Amino acid sequence: MKPPKFEYHAPTSLDEALDALGRYGGDAKVLAGGQSLMPLLNFRLARPAALVDLNRVASLAYIREQDGQVRLGAMTRQRTIEFSPLVAQRLPLLKEATRWVGHLPIRTRGTIGGSIAHADPSAEYPAVLAALEGEVVARGARGERVIRAADLFQTYLTTSLAPDEILTEVRLPAMPAGAGYALEEFSRRHGDFAIVGIAAVVVRAGQRCTMARLATAGAGPVPVRLRAAEEILETEGLGEAAIDAAARRATELVDPDADIHASADYRRHLAGVLTKRALTRAIGVARG
Amino acid sequence: MGVGLPRLVGARVARREDPRLLTGQGSYVDDHRPARMLYAAFLRSPHAHARIRRIDASAALALPGVAAVLTGDDIARSAKPVRAASKTPNVKTTSYPPLALGKVRHVGEAVAMVAAESRYVAEDAVERIVVEYEPLPVVRDVESALDPASPVLHDEAETNLLVSREFARGDVDAAVAGAALVVRERFRFHRHTPVCMENRGCLAEYATGSGALTLRSSAQCPGLVRDILTDLLDMPEHLIRVIATDVGGGFGAKASLYPEEIATCVMARRLGRPVKWIGDRREDLLATTHAWDEIVDAELGLNQDGTIVGLRAEVIADVGGYSIYPWTAAIEPVQTISFLPGPYRVPTYRGRARGVATCKAPLGPYRGVGRPPAVFVIEGLMDRAARRLGLDPAEIRLRNFIRDEDFPYKSPSGIVWDRSSFTESLQKAREALDYKAARDEQARARAAGRWVGIGIASYVELTGIGSAIPVSPGMPVSTGTEAATIRFDPAGKVTAVFGVASHGQGLETTLAQIVGDEVGVPIEDVRVVHGDTDASPYGTGTYASRSLVLAGGAAILAGRSVREKMLVIAGHLLEADPADVTLAPGRYAVRGMPDRSVTVRQIARAAYSGAKHLPKGLEPGLEATRFYDPYYGTASNATHAAMVEVDRATLEVKILRYVVVEDCGRMVNPLIVDGQVHGGVAQGIGAALLEEIVYDDQGQLLSGTLMDYVVPSACEIPMMEVHHVETPSPVTLGGFRGMGEGGTIGAPAAIANAVADALAPLSIEVAELPVTPERLFRLTRKAGA
Repeated sequence: MKPPKFEYHAPTSLDEALDALGRYGGDAKVLAGGQSLMPLLNFRLARPAALVDLNRVASLAYIREQDGQVRLGAMTRQRTIEFSPLVAQRLPLLKEATRWVGHLPIRTRGTIGGSIAHADPSAEYPAVLAALEGEVVARGARGERVIRAADLFQTYLTTSLAPDEILTEVRLPAMPAGAGYALEEFSRRHGDFAIVGIAAVVVRAGQRCTMARLATAGAGPVPVRLRAAEEILETEGLGEAAIDAAARRATELVDPDADIHASADYRRHLAGVLTKRALTRAIGVARG
Repeated sequence: MGVGLPRLVGARVARREDPRLLTGQGSYVDDHRPARMLYAAFLRSPHAHARIRRIDASAALALPGVAAVLTGDDIARSAKPVRAASKTPNVKTTSYPPLALGKVRHVGEAVAMVAAESRYVAEDAVERIVVEYEPLPVVRDVESALDPASPVLHDEAETNLLVSREFARGDVDAAVAGAALVVRERFRFHRHTPVCMENRGCLAEYATGSGALTLRSSAQCPGLVRDILTDLLDMPEHLIRVIATDVGGGFGAKASLYPEEIATCVMARRLGRPVKWIGDRREDLLATTHAWDEIVDAELGLNQDGTIVGLRAEVIADVGGYSIYPWTAAIEPVQTISFLPGPYRVPTYRGRARGVATCKAPLGPYRGVGRPPAVFVIEGLMDRAARRLGLDPAEIRLRNFIRDEDFPYKSPSGIVWDRSSFTESLQKAREALDYKAARDEQARARAAGRWVGIGIASYVELTGIGSAIPVSPGMPVSTGTEAATIRFDPAGKVTAVFGVASHGQGLETTLAQIVGDEVGVPIEDVRVVHGDTDASPYGTGTYASRSLVLAGGAAILAGRSVREKMLVIAGHLLEADPADVTLAPGRYAVRGMPDRSVTVRQIARAAYSGAKHLPKGLEPGLEATRFYDPYYGTASNATHAAMVEVDRATLEVKILRYVVVEDCGRMVNPLIVDGQVHGGVAQGIGAALLEEIVYDDQGQLLSGTLMDYVVPSACEIPMMEVHHVETPSPVTLGGFRGMGEGGTIGAPAAIANAVADALAPLSIEVAELPVTPERLFRLTRKAGA
C-alpha cells in the first residue's frame, strides 16, 4: 500500500495552485485534508501524475457571514467548523452533521471543501449542502463560477467540477432563526460512513410548516432531496400523521444500492425510519 | 514457599511491559533496519482459481532499485513445499508452496516476491510482473466443492474433502428417536479473521560467513517456525534463530507458518542481504488465516424434564485453499465436534466433522478455535429446548451440567474434564446479573413494546494441553512441553528465559510473579526473556491457552531447583543446617532467628565465587533449566450473560449489560485476567454482531478493508462486569488453568441467545452469526414485524 510516483506541488496561493493544476491537463489531483485521497493513492486506485497540496494556501481557511450566507473557505477543517460560534448560531445543522464525520483525528485534518469535492454520497456534508440548498464556488483558469448543490453531484465520487478547477468556497444560506434541524444517521460502527443518513430542517409557524428540507446520505449515488416528502409537511403541517406520511414517502423517493452491509430494501426502510426520527427531533427543537 | 513473603502470585500487578509498549519503545519487526536491508513486496493472485501459464519478471527486474524477483519455481529450488502432515486417517496431506506453483487457489495468494531498495519501488516492480493466468472454475463454497462435478483444488488429494472425522458415544439414534423433545437447527457461523493491531511481517538476515539465518517475525511460535525452517531450508537447527520479541497481537492467526516467512528467508539467503516484508492491512485481510466459517446441522434430544438424552451434529468447515502448518485443515472442524457437548452430561453423541477446500484464504486458529461455533450451537439448542419445555434457560443448564460428583468426567469426544465450577459459575452469573430483577425489567420493556432479551452461555474449554493430547488432532509436532531457565547473576538479579512468546498476554509480568515467589526476590529483580530461540531452552511458543500453565509450571520447577541450592548455600554461609533455613523477603534466614540471615545477593555472589565459599562438593553457579509437561492438560470454564435490546426500527442490537463469571483456576494476576476477558469478549461481540469476511461468487474478497470488515471500536463495546470463581486445577503445577480465549468463546453464543430471547415474541431464532441489522431486517420482515 504505497502510492506510485507522483509530482508534488505545495503552492502558497490559489493562483499558484491553479497554475500547477493547469499544467497537468486533468492528470493532477487536489490534496485537501487527505482523509480520502491518501487511502486511494495507497491502494493505487487513484494514480494522478501530480498532487497539488492546498494545505499551505492560508487564504482558503475562513468562516464568515455575508449576504445572508455563511461562507466557508474550502480548507476550513471540520474540527474548526465543529467549534465555530458562527456555525453554531447560523448553521446548527452543519455543526450537528460535523459531529458525525469520522473521528477526532479525521476531523482535525479533514476539510469541508475536500469532503464535498470528494462527493462520497454516504458523507454528511454533501447531504447538508443539498438540504440547505447551498452552493460552492469553483475557480479555474477561465475564472470563477458558482455551482448549486443540485448541479454539483453527478454520481458516486463525481462532481461537475472541471479537472482544472478548484473548489474554493462553500456557501450555505444561514438557517432561519428558530428553525428546527436534525441529522439522523445509521452506521454499523461509530464514526463510519452512513448506511443511511437524513438531514432535516423545518421552519414552523404553530402547527404549520412554512419550510421543510430533507436530504439523504447513503441512499443513492448522490445526496437526494426528498422534495415530495417535504411538500407533505408544508401542506399538512407537523402532526404525527404528516410525519408518518413524509417518512413513508421518503422510502419511495430513494433508490439505494446494495452492498455487503445493507440491501437496497433495508436502506429504503432506514430512510423512512430516519426521516421520522429526524423530523421528530427537528420539530422538537423548532421555535415559532 | 517461604513464610511471611509478600506473594506476587494473586496480586493485581500492573503490566511491566506496558510503559515500554505504550511509549513506542517496543521492539517489533518493523523497528529493525539492519544495514543493506531490502524491502519486499508480494505479487498476489487476482484470481480465485487459475493455472499459471507463464511469469515474466523482466520489466520488474529492469526497474532501478530492484534486487531480485522470486517465483514459485525459484523457491522450489531452494525450499521444500510445506506439507501439514496428519497422523489422523481421513485427513489429506496437501502441499502449500511458499509462492504459487503451477496454480493459484485463492485471491491474494502470493505468486511472486520482489526485493528492492524501498517498499515503493518493490510495489512498482510488482505491478510490472506479467503473469499469464488461465482461469479455472471457482470453487466458491462447501456445497459446490462437495459436488462430484466440482473441480478439485488439490489433485494429489483427489477430492475437496480434506478432513473427515467422527466422535461417537452410545446409540444416539435410538436415544434421539425415543426423546420426549428433539430440537434441531442448521447453524451458520460465518467467516471471520482476527485483525491483529500489528500486521504480519518478517525480517530475514543470512550471515554468509557463519551460515546462520536469523528471522525476526511477528509470530506466536518462534520455536515451531525454527523447527520447520530447518526442514524446509535443509539447514541445521542451531544455525537458525527465530526472534519474536514484541508482537502486536496474534489471537491464533500468527501461530501458523506463513509462506512469506519462508520466501523472505530464501530471498535473504540468496542475496546475502537482509530482507524485510511488512504486510499491509490489505494483505492481512487477504492472506492471514481466516477462522470459524462453519455450517452445523445439530439435533438435541431431551427428556420432558429437560435432561439431555442425545446430541447429533454434522459440521462442515470451509477450510479454504490450503491446509496450514502445523495445525492442518482439521483444526477447526475437529475441535468443533470435540467441544460440542459442552459442560453437559451428554450420554449419547455423534459428531461428524468435514473440512472442505474452497477458493478462499486458508482457515486457521482464532481465539477459541472451534469452540465459538460449538458453544453457539449447543447453547442455541439449549435455549430452543428451554423455550419448548417452558423452562428457564438457567434452569435447563443447571439440570444438565456435569456435577461435582461426576469429575473427572470423560466427554463423549474423549476429553476428560477435571473438577470445574460449571454450576457455581452460572449461579454466580445469575446473582451478578440480579437475574430476577433483570427478567422483571425485560417483562416491563416487553410490555412497552421493546425488544429486550437476556442470553446465557456456559462453556468449558481445554487448556494447557500436555503431551498426551495434540493441540490439533493428528498434527505432526508435539506441543506438550515448555521449559524455563532461571539464572541468578552474581549481583542477585534473576534472568528467566522461556520458549513461549508473549504477544499481548502480559507474560513478562505473570511469569515474573511466579519466578519472584519461587526464589524469593521482588518482581523488579526478575527479567523475563522470551520469544528468542537462541536465548531460550527448547519450546514452541504461545497458543492454545497454554503459556501460563506450561511455562508457569516450568518456572515453578526451575525456581524450586534454584531455591534448593540457595538454601544449601545459605546454610553454608550461616553455618546452619539447610533444613533450618527459610525464605524471608529478600533474604534467607535461620528459622526462628531472623537476625541470622543472608541476602539473596550474598548467596548469589557466593555461588559464583568458587569452592571456598560453597559447601564441599557443591557445583558453582546458580541456575536451572526445567521442563514441564502437564500430560493431559486442564480446563477453564465460564458463564456469560448478556442483556440486549434490538431497536425495533433500525434493527441495531445494543448491549445493555454484560456479565462474565469465569474460572481459570488459581489466578496469577487478576488484573491481567480481567483484561484478557475484556479483549476476548470484544472480539466475541465483533463476531456476534459486526465482523464477516465476504467473498463473492467469483472468489473475490468483498471485505478487503477495515471499512468493510467491521471490527468493533471502543464505542461498540459495553462496560463488562467480570467476576471470578477460583477453582485451582487439581492437575497442573500451581493450580493454573489456561485463559485468554474464553471471552471469544462465550460472547457469540450469549449475544445470539439474548437477541433470540428479545425476538421470542416473534418466534425468531438466531441461527446465523454475525446477526447483523440486515439479517435482523430480513428475519423480522419474514416474521411479519
